[in-house]
Amino acid sequence: MRPFTYTSATNKEQALKASTKTSHYLAGGTNLVDLMKEDVERPDQLIDVNKLDYKKITSNEKGGLSLGAMLSNAETANHPEIRTNYPLLSMAMLSAASAQIRNMASNGGNLLQRTRCPYFFETSMPCNKREPGSGCGALKGMNALHAIFGYSDNCIATNPSDMNVALAAIGATVEVQKKDGSSRMIEFTDFHRLPGDKPEKDNTLEQGELITAIHLSKPEFSDHYYYLKIRERSSYAFALISVAAGLQVKSGVIAKAGLAMGGVAHKPWKLSKAEEFLVGKKPNKSKFEAAADLAMKDAKPFEANKFKVEMGKNAIVRALTQAYEREA
Amino acid sequence: MTKTINASGVGNAIDRVEGHLKVMGKAKYASEFPVENKVYGQGINSTIAKGEIISIDTSEAEKLEGVLKVITYKNAEKLKAFDEERPELATDSIAPVLQSNKVHYYGEYVGLVVAETFEQAQYAARLVKFEYKKDSDALIDFEKSKSKAYTPDNDSNYSRGNMKLGLSEADMVVEQTYNTPIEHHHPMELHAVIAAWDNGKVTAYASQQIVEDAKIAISGTFQIPKEDVRVISAFVGGGFGSKLNLDRHVIMAVMASKMVGRPVQVTVTRTQMFTNTNMRQQNEQKMRVGAKKDGTLTALSHETLSHTSITQEYQEPCGMVSKMLYNVPNNEVTYKLIPMNLQTPFAMRAPGEATGSFALESAMDEMAWKLKMDPLEFRIKNDTQTDLHENRPFSSRLLVECLRIGADKFGWKDRKAEPRTNKKGNWLIGYGVSAASREAPYQKTHAKVILELEEDKIFATIQMDATDIGTGSYTIIAQTASEYLKIPVEQVTVELGDSDFPITPGSGGSWGAASYCNGARAACENAINTLKNNRNIKGDEEVTVSELLKQNQLTKFEAEGMAEPSAEFKKYSIFSFGANFSEVWVDKDTGMYRIKRMVNVGSAGKILNPKTAYGQIIGGLTMGAGMVIAEQSRVEPNFGNFITRSFADYHVPVNLDMANIDVIFLPEEDKIANKMGIKGIGELGITSVAASISNAIFNATGKRMRSLPITPEKLIEAGLEEGVTA
Repeated sequence: MRPFTYTSATNKEQALKASTKTSHYLAGGTNLVDLMKEDVERPDQLIDVNKLDYKKITSNEKGGLSLGAMLSNAETANHPEIRTNYPLLSMAMLSAASAQIRNMASNGGNLLQRTRCPYFFETSMPCNKREPGSGCGALKGMNALHAIFGYSDNCIATNPSDMNVALAAIGATVEVQKKDGSSRMIEFTDFHRLPGDKPEKDNTLEQGELITAIHLSKPEFSDHYYYLKIRERSSYAFALISVAAGLQVKSGVIAKAGLAMGGVAHKPWKLSKAEEFLVGKKPNKSKFEAAADLAMKDAKPFEANKFKVEMGKNAIVRALTQAYEREA
Repeated sequence: MTKTINASGVGNAIDRVEGHLKVMGKAKYASEFPVENKVYGQGINSTIAKGEIISIDTSEAEKLEGVLKVITYKNAEKLKAFDEERPELATDSIAPVLQSNKVHYYGEYVGLVVAETFEQAQYAARLVKFEYKKDSDALIDFEKSKSKAYTPDNDSNYSRGNMKLGLSEADMVVEQTYNTPIEHHHPMELHAVIAAWDNGKVTAYASQQIVEDAKIAISGTFQIPKEDVRVISAFVGGGFGSKLNLDRHVIMAVMASKMVGRPVQVTVTRTQMFTNTNMRQQNEQKMRVGAKKDGTLTALSHETLSHTSITQEYQEPCGMVSKMLYNVPNNEVTYKLIPMNLQTPFAMRAPGEATGSFALESAMDEMAWKLKMDPLEFRIKNDTQTDLHENRPFSSRLLVECLRIGADKFGWKDRKAEPRTNKKGNWLIGYGVSAASREAPYQKTHAKVILELEEDKIFATIQMDATDIGTGSYTIIAQTASEYLKIPVEQVTVELGDSDFPITPGSGGSWGAASYCNGARAACENAINTLKNNRNIKGDEEVTVSELLKQNQLTKFEAEGMAEPSAEFKKYSIFSFGANFSEVWVDKDTGMYRIKRMVNVGSAGKILNPKTAYGQIIGGLTMGAGMVIAEQSRVEPNFGNFITRSFADYHVPVNLDMANIDVIFLPEEDKIANKMGIKGIGELGITSVAASISNAIFNATGKRMRSLPITPEKLIEAGLEEGVTA
């Protein structure tokens, strides 16, 4: 590891003040510290924010719950209120990583997880995300695990988080503290960005901004939900494809649908067209298949990840079916 | 005198004698010895697959606090070079390193930084700047390098009968190619060494499977007398073949210690474990099987195409199993190797059998499907009690019994012959079977026993340079001493892994248990016989060891012993056998699957300790399941590096992936194999598991998966086999 200084902040003012262009906030460290060991992240200062008091789950004015940014993934996913009201989020979070990592990882940090693209991890290979202008190694390299939506020639990496996929499906707002002490709200779907010509930027946070809370929309999918994660082994593996599906069914008709995919794009991929299509329909296999076709219509796979189109369709149909058929 | 039952002798399921030390953290692994004044070395890896180093800038690194030395080819000690082009890699091969500016593969060591602390060494290693001239013709793509394949000059190509004739006599022919990827051993304990050079004498605390060969490799590489090298490998946290030979980090540590005048520790990082230790190479195995309508095999050929490195040769004997497992008169086994710009592959658990059995036992299943025969009965029909390859009888072979008993325990009769007919919700359910065999070698082994009499009790210490790579060597050797000295195991101390102790063949190739225990037995028997002879006591007279010492007026007595294969041993083929049964549930839409249960039946001679033996089989089955589920190291086609570089992306099975496992050993004592009737089990477990699971996947889905690993994406993309109803 390269030498760096370490500061432990006891309040947000201290943290914000200490931050510089080359510093990083340190929460669980499950991703950042790994990347520092790999020489991918090279901060000269770590500002430990673990002592900051963003560790609660509270009610918010939208009729939903708000998650403290510093609460661990394990505490969040296993919280009785989350399990009851946001079981889709709980299910997605518990499918992630391993128990040990979930104990360490924070909610804010999960949003900032960096891609698992092997070109990003290996410093001897080109990667525009790690080193802007060096090129995208994956574009003409090994890209079976890469994006099929929304990529650019500069970057075809995917967002690896499971939590993000569920948040995209259920709807959320991210609260951040700006460096000047004021705060601002970012719609969850606007929080992550597509690579475009700035793949080094995963999200829309400005320099020094600190995530303090994730405000969830009011719970709508507590009866019909499913998080399907297709992966190579049963635990501690990132998704090849994942689908978060939530349905609200009233009088035998879909009143609201929340649908998002993981493992397919630079950001959690909200399937808005499919969501809209499903509203007002009777939940059945043919409707789910039509929604899946609609969702995957614009996919632009590479030779090596063509499988993601069929797998994606199957996954959407299966997730919707499991969500609908779940005993409420 | 009444006979007492010895509850700690061989065959008893006692706890590991070293278990307490391990749990308490007191068992010392290579990097844990508190060597005074020790400093740390960090290897630097090349970032090109082929070419030359044109310049090295060490200035920044050398300025850092704590940095003692940066070693590259420019200032490295001159080491013994290979005498010929691409010599075969052996367990005692020299390991020259940092000898020229040539780069042969991505990740090859190009330097070592030595510093006062581990952190300083790691950081400094990053600051050394290498400039390369990269050659554009590196051989890093298996498919594209096939034209470079050559037949290795090692007499392993083999044939009997006439393949052409055999195929013409067949009613049915299966001709298919099976692929297995590069896999890595990845023992939990990283390869590590603390080396101290002291006036031309070397002491190396190194994680090695064969202490004597490590000693030979160090003395050969530095051209110093063997007597001046001592290797200590008291505990080894797994090897799986990767620690059979001596890797270059040990040589770098010895060299660095000589150059800086202090002991140097080098620990290979997990990412370096991919490039700076061995690997199992990619194999493309072409099988041709011919059979009569009634299931009689008429022909079997097994052609393997693999790769080796530019500098050394290794060829995995994939076709071995096809030469001896079945009664087939016409048989051919061939090998070809492509020299590629990757590190030298070497033996990984059950080299030959683990991968070869995937090809053979898949092809057998394909033939059974074509013949509309039960794959179990098809195998039994082609059983043989003679090794047709060696033209010798098997010392014992209970393969049919393994298959029959396993089938009964597993409930094979409930298997549905037609794929896609056993369903439950979204699951397609399948059953698979495979036969397993693994040679049971036994080698010359020396041991020493020290007997001490204290208040009527005999305390025994066994010393040998054997290693315990997690297999249970300490325990079974202690049980052997307990058995032959007729004392409780609590009165036995076993000291292993020091090259100052009597020479053994080390741990590997499933020869450890038989060799070690017979060596220890010989030492104990020698001690007793000598003590009896001295007092003119007849050999068959029952006298306790404590009584013998008293009669000899001794309180301490030492004896050495040696065991080796008998003349009779050489007249037989000596193998362990087994059968694997698996039930797999495949999700019809997602391609994900669950191995629900496995039954493994083995006939592997005398089981010395059921606990450690079960551990070996369960570990082998897990590693075999890993071959199927996800294990693979992939080479980046433009750069030549492994894109899998940690346990996050090199997927080994997790607990949740594993099945309910039932392990059964058939009672067997093979006295032809050796006096104690022991055969090896370290590699039997992994053999054929991959085929058993893959065959179950076929039975579930009707999809024949011929390339490992079988991932969800491959299952989604695969089509149905001809003749399968959707």
